[in-house]
Amino acid sequence: MAESYQEGSGAGADFDLSQFYQIFFEEAGENLDQMEHMLLDLDLEKADDEELNGIFRCAHSIKGGAATFGFSDVAELTHQMESLLDRLRRHELQPIPQMVDVLLESADASRSLLARHQAGAQDEAPSTASLVRRISELAAGMVPAPSAPVEPQAPPPPVAKVEPPAPAPAAVAAPSGLRSLHVRIGPLDRMEQAETIKELFRDIPGLGSIADLPCSDTNARLFAVETSSTDSDLLDLFTFHVAKEQVQITEAGSGAAALAAPADPDLAEGAVSNLPPGEAYGFFNNAPGAPAGAPVPAIQAIEPASAVTRIAPKPGAEAKAGSQSQMESTTIRVDVKKVDQLINLVGELVITQAMLAQNSLGLDSATHQQLLAGLADLDRNTRDLQESVMSIRMIPMSIVFSRFPRMLRDLANKLGKKVEMVTLGEATELDKGLVEKITDPLTHLVRNSGDHGIELPADRLAKGKPEHGTITLSASHQGGSIVIEVKDDGRGLSRDKILAKARERGMDVSDQMSDAEVWQLIFAPGFSTAEVVTDVSGRGVGMDVVKRNIAALNGTVEVDSSEGYGTKVSVRLPLTLAIMDGMSVGVGEEVYILPLSSVVESFQVNSEDVNTVAQGSQLVKVRDEYMPVIALEKIFQVPRFDLEKSSTIMVVVEAEGNRVALLVDELLGQHQVVVKNLESNYRKVPNVSGATILGDGRVALILDIGGLVRRARH
Amino acid sequence: MSVIGKTAETVSTGAREYLTFRLDQEEYGIDILKVQEIRGYEPPTRIAHAPEFIKGVVNLRGTIIPIVDMRLKFNCSKAEYNTFTVVIILNLRNRVVGIVVDSVSDVMELATDNVKSAPDIESVIDNDCILGLGSVGERMLILLDIEKLMSSVDMGLVGAEG
Repeated sequence: MAESYQEGSGAGADFDLSQFYQIFFEEAGENLDQMEHMLLDLDLEKADDEELNGIFRCAHSIKGGAATFGFSDVAELTHQMESLLDRLRRHELQPIPQMVDVLLESADASRSLLARHQAGAQDEAPSTASLVRRISELAAGMVPAPSAPVEPQAPPPPVAKVEPPAPAPAAVAAPSGLRSLHVRIGPLDRMEQAETIKELFRDIPGLGSIADLPCSDTNARLFAVETSSTDSDLLDLFTFHVAKEQVQITEAGSGAAALAAPADPDLAEGAVSNLPPGEAYGFFNNAPGAPAGAPVPAIQAIEPASAVTRIAPKPGAEAKAGSQSQMESTTIRVDVKKVDQLINLVGELVITQAMLAQNSLGLDSATHQQLLAGLADLDRNTRDLQESVMSIRMIPMSIVFSRFPRMLRDLANKLGKKVEMVTLGEATELDKGLVEKITDPLTHLVRNSGDHGIELPADRLAKGKPEHGTITLSASHQGGSIVIEVKDDGRGLSRDKILAKARERGMDVSDQMSDAEVWQLIFAPGFSTAEVVTDVSGRGVGMDVVKRNIAALNGTVEVDSSEGYGTKVSVRLPLTLAIMDGMSVGVGEEVYILPLSSVVESFQVNSEDVNTVAQGSQLVKVRDEYMPVIALEKIFQVPRFDLEKSSTIMVVVEAEGNRVALLVDELLGQHQVVVKNLESNYRKVPNVSGATILGDGRVALILDIGGLVRRARH
Repeated sequence: MSVIGKTAETVSTGAREYLTFRLDQEEYGIDILKVQEIRGYEPPTRIAHAPEFIKGVVNLRGTIIPIVDMRLKFNCSKAEYNTFTVVIILNLRNRVVGIVVDSVSDVMELATDNVKSAPDIESVIDNDCILGLGSVGERMLILLDIEKLMSSVDMGLVGAEG
């Protein structure tokens, strides 16, 4: 969290903050995600204190970090969000949908601002002024909608209603201008601490200037500061070096009395309870005994207030924060490269272990009993180790799923549809590399379901369906694969329209085709035209791209649909990219690996089943189906030393819905193989997708079934 | 010759160390800093449709690396594989490649003065890939810019995009 490393970083004075930028961006991203998630889950009728606190904490963490690193635009925006959230969690305001909307929009704006900073862009930042104004209006209790719900338990005092809108804009404008402040640091044990404050101004560009002022107190220092940052941001920064209680900030020329007063830890708190309502973003409208409308300048009042919220958080918030920090300490952030290196090393260990096991086969079990027992232990331990290491890369599907509710909400709003989203099996784990690559295709599928699958509420009612459409996302393990389904109860695919469209495009179709074959047509390139989207029930847009991306991950896509009742798209993926179930086949002296997922069947071939057609290409008849034959011997120019042997076994493989028969000498076995990249030191080899290391240390090539099938079909 | 002057080491120390190896009758030298290790020859896994001098790929402690037989590349009279055949593992710009040579001789330090620019001769080696000719007593070394040689297109080690 932002706080924890801020403290740690306070040790060094001449300290380059930029080395922490990456951490901050990652954390801010996570916080924004979390905030978005919680906002969407928020039950407006009876908002849970814990939830509101959680959202508040997210905004607060981002603000703290952004201020520390000098991203004032983000800090400013999140500060406004924080203010609104603070009133919500204090039950001074009742949450309304507009607030959720504006907060979501602000989260998006913060995200893009952060992305801009991350990219180091120098151009003009997109303006957040209108967002800031909307938030502060809401925070001030001005509800755009006529029906402002009133909090039953804690009705806001009338002062909140009649509150003039002036304070909020004033508060917004203030931080952007340059302000002259007096900062008193003290009492201090060591005067060097004050010097570090000065260094802070030197080290952080754009923070402002600082100059010494004479101070009557021997154990305190007084500085004249010119800055555009808000007081709370300054306080946050100073806490690197001195305790908050030791810092007093006053407007230059106005706070002589405060400066003269001895620093007192209770002072800040005391000051707050005396604050007038309405001036401090309305934080303390209910503060007991607060005199209404005491003339104190707005800026001065605001900042100590937010500082105090941090010093003395609500007991509930504290408890939650405690449990959260406990949760954090159980995870560590590790560079993916390190994990990959670990996986590689374990992969090698597995290979070495397999080699030892192979070499020990011939040993007499009576004389080498201990050695063999040791090897058996090694076998078990390596397997366990491999499993544990592979699980490091596994992340739950909820990471992917969590982005969809937001997307669908926006989409449904735009299209005037009502869509509910159901997710199942969010805990199912998938390799991180796969998760990154599957997100885009899934987004596409979900968007298609929302856009083209689900009908307008009126149409749905007319068909006797519930007004709300439902999109179900589910993930589950099935054997060695993970299956992700996107299901909707929309209008479904129209067989007739797809066939008509296919004919129009000159594709080879017939009315006798099975439904499954018809549905596969939507994956054809070029089927993704705008007319299809409007005529047929959509699902044309870029489905070929979806299919290609998934095929690139060794996965498959299947569609099932029933017109008028909905569509289900199932994506089947291997659990990880690094390890694959392979079938090893022998050709001549060489060994090749076929991905087991693409193997359909294998059989001994009779010469009369093979027909040679034009240009020497061969076809084999398998249960009334003719499929092209690919002799691996020819394609890979395998030299023949032993003329006794010949290829007599056919292995039927399938890719992209097409089947071919591979002609091989022998089937050697099935095993898990660690997939290695050929391209990292060599180049792409045609018909080969990668390589692996066999038990004896030799390299075997893994066949690119997709490439072979395409080759045979052309 | 500008090629020699390019490297900082030449300027600063005036001398560089070269690993020398033998191909047929000729002796070659390559920058020692490009050499990762030297290993015995083990039969690689053949890659179909690769040029003849690319013997295939081997497993180097979990990494798959291509093996280039320099003797075939330089059209030597014979290329035998026996117990003396060695593979020099090179580390070039984050790519690891093994080259097969007849034998490795030694490591030699050559001062700039002892390196003469190569005459423009017709040979299987592109002239750009020869740093110069080094003379050590009676012996003559052909100093190769091994990085340039290995990344040249006709080596076929890198794809069109690389």
